Amino acid sequence: MAVDVGQPRVPAWQRGKVASWLVTVDHKRIGILYIGTAGFFLAIAGFLALLIRTQLAQPDGAVVTGDSYNEVVTMHGTGMVFFVMVPVLAGLGNFLVPLMIGAPDMAFPRLNALSYWLYAFAGLVYCFSFLAAGGAANTGWTAYPPLSLAALGNGQDLWILSIHILTLSSMAGAINFIVTIHNMRTAGMSWMRLPLFVWSIEIYAWLLLLVLPVLSAGLTLLLLERQFPDTFQFFRPEDVAAGGSPVLFQHVFWFFGHPEVYIMVLPVFGIISEVIPVFARKPIFGYKAVAFSTVAIGFFSMLVWAHHMFTVGMPTYLNIWFMLASMVIAVPTGMKIFNWLATLWRGNISLDTPMLFALGFLSVFTMGGLSGIYLAAFPVDWQVHDTYFVVAHFHYVLFGGSMLGLLGGLFYWWPKIFGRMLSERIGKWTFLFVFVGFNLTFFPQHMLGLLGMPRRIYTYRDDGLWHAYNLLSTVGSYVMTVGFLLFLLAIVKSVNGRRAGNDPWQADTLEWYTTSPPPPHNFDDVPYVTSARPLYDLRRRLREAEAT
Amino acid sequence: MPARVRHRALIVVGALVAPLAFAATALAGNGGFAPLAPQSPNAEGIQQSYLFISAFAFAIFLLVEGILIAFVIRYRRRKRPRNMDGAQIHGATKLELAWTVGPVLILFVIAAFVFAKLPTIQDVPAAAAGSENLVVDVTGTQFTWEFRYPNGVVTIDRLRAPQGRTVELRITAPEWDVIHSWWIPALGGKMDAIPGTVNKTWFEAERAGVFQGQCAELCGLYHAKMLASVEVVPASEFDAWYDERRAQQEAGTSTLGEELYEGSCAKCHGLQGEGGYGLRIAGTQLVSDEQAIETLLRRGGILMPPVGRDWGQTEMNALTAYLKENLGG
Repeated sequence: MAVDVGQPRVPAWQRGKVASWLVTVDHKRIGILYIGTAGFFLAIAGFLALLIRTQLAQPDGAVVTGDSYNEVVTMHGTGMVFFVMVPVLAGLGNFLVPLMIGAPDMAFPRLNALSYWLYAFAGLVYCFSFLAAGGAANTGWTAYPPLSLAALGNGQDLWILSIHILTLSSMAGAINFIVTIHNMRTAGMSWMRLPLFVWSIEIYAWLLLLVLPVLSAGLTLLLLERQFPDTFQFFRPEDVAAGGSPVLFQHVFWFFGHPEVYIMVLPVFGIISEVIPVFARKPIFGYKAVAFSTVAIGFFSMLVWAHHMFTVGMPTYLNIWFMLASMVIAVPTGMKIFNWLATLWRGNISLDTPMLFALGFLSVFTMGGLSGIYLAAFPVDWQVHDTYFVVAHFHYVLFGGSMLGLLGGLFYWWPKIFGRMLSERIGKWTFLFVFVGFNLTFFPQHMLGLLGMPRRIYTYRDDGLWHAYNLLSTVGSYVMTVGFLLFLLAIVKSVNGRRAGNDPWQADTLEWYTTSPPPPHNFDDVPYVTSARPLYDLRRRLREAEAT
Repeated sequence: MPARVRHRALIVVGALVAPLAFAATALAGNGGFAPLAPQSPNAEGIQQSYLFISAFAFAIFLLVEGILIAFVIRYRRRKRPRNMDGAQIHGATKLELAWTVGPVLILFVIAAFVFAKLPTIQDVPAAAAGSENLVVDVTGTQFTWEFRYPNGVVTIDRLRAPQGRTVELRITAPEWDVIHSWWIPALGGKMDAIPGTVNKTWFEAERAGVFQGQCAELCGLYHAKMLASVEVVPASEFDAWYDERRAQQEAGTSTLGEELYEGSCAKCHGLQGEGGYGLRIAGTQLVSDEQAIETLLRRGGILMPPVGRDWGQTEMNALTAYLKENLGG
């Protein structure tokens, strides 16, 4: 493709530095917008997390009131899940998927822009809901009725509204990803030659498409019942004969909520599957196993939702089903871990920052997976459910897993996105602080849960051990904060960082074939894809050609 | 081993041993590495399942982290060129099958163990001759627990139970309230108190003592203060108290009024009625007006939940008497 072909004429007002970003339909710019906006929400939700930890440093902390504490907890969870993790992965996917499959853009560039702007708008509603009468939503990110029905003021309504808008954004994005991946792969890129990150985005998109409508429906019912309590009684127990039940909402919510975990984790599995082979100078061990285990995890994730509800008094046969189904997920997850380990075997391992994060991910995600077995075994769950043990578990999965892997991915692809390397020196310090701080924060929370500390409490019994572990956890959260500030420093310094060149890591996938940053149309030409590692093949052919 | 390497190895070993030593001491005193020491057969069954899973989890954890560390050390780049290929191995079907089937077997064993333990955890022991099960209705409301005994005795936030006798709990919440979760860690797992539904659980305390717990499902403003405790006393002592309390309750001389005040009122209005999240009530006209109090408690206020909607006259009288006596002007 020649550079000047197919470039539509751009009106003068759209050419400005700001205007060009506002009207852009380029998947790379939209990706950057997503990532930047998610960074902004990370700062907000991260600040809320620090408030939580600061409040809990002492048994009778007075940093926030009990009322505000419930808002802080709710908005921290909601922010991290809906406005940080899911969108940042959409952003990374947006930037990378067309490049990795050798396409000039996403299938529907304008829909893509719409997705982003809906996300930004939803984020605006989220931010302004803090100013609502009665404050922001304060019933937890799970918003269980009847509590969420009884919540006063408009915080809860705005919370519902913001997530409604966000689900529209994610659905449009998901359709775009699926259509792009199915139709726009370059010549030679069969499904078995698809980069594993793209595989994971495919499953991420399908899961979004399948479960988000269920959340939307549940939230619509909640909104209707909040606004017209005399007309609608979906979740109120008064009218049991008509099928109303507070537990119904939990089923609806977790049918979405459990796959949501995999929505946040699968793309990170994809990142790890890209990073480890490149820094071990090996092909991924068992490509098919890694790809198909992603599909299996996605499928089973929709059959396990009620393991979040073992304490509501379900019949034993249902408890047994949800226990066994949850355990089944451990099998494909375990396969991935062992395949990643085997990829290291007899490799030539360079411990650059992306690889450090990937290895850090491997070590702590294992921990999160293992603590999940306790939660799947429902009698044990009766003991640890809704305690800090669960908080520790899902932070090991979503922070130790998703966030560490994501940071690794950002260090890995930053040079492609901006054309400049992030400082290796600062990067290694970032890893050290984030990794140590993370474990210091969340490991003691396992013990807190086992000692009897429930989640979502703003004050706790003045018991020596409870206090000690909470204090340790708080110290850890500040260590982690230093790590994130270092990351910010690395970003600022990268403006004058070393120029990356096309392929600074000698990587294997197509995005490294084009310039860094890539031109608006991505590629002048795309080599015919002969395996899952097109650039590895290309380098080998070049070496052979030189030899002859 | 060169000195520099030895030095490094020492640091690594030290870093690994230190947390283990810490873990060992903490484990010895149960610093939170297993659920609180169980005091009831169901909690015991949960504890055993927990430890059984832990054995496998710990082994797998050591295996994975061990392999990870070993591979990173063994196959790190050293002086090789950065872009030199590692061994180009694309997979090994038999090996991959092994680490698919292995976990399946482990999970099978874990599930079998848990199912074997399930009856001792879940099933209420049948009442033996001469020792009827004590059935207590437990109701969670924002932000207090009410216990109602078969003979009409009502206590708030503290459940008194006989040692060595099975106590069945029928747990619920009023239809106008929200979901709570009943949990005394030493006496077994949680059970949600759901409006409109009755859930059942049980315990049989092996020794006397006071066992702490608290609401485990976010239920609003003072969720953190919705504490509960179970006071286990020898059976004879319990029987004596049981009859005495009933007599006192009927005569209006029990501590029920105080318990109700501390459970339902004090969290917002203060222990002395001095106010807090709720208004100051000490010395106001309201506390001396039984009629007005009853209306308010049954209907609720703008921000105040109708805490007394389902109370019987005994509770209402006990509270109004307490208010009049202690907070009246």
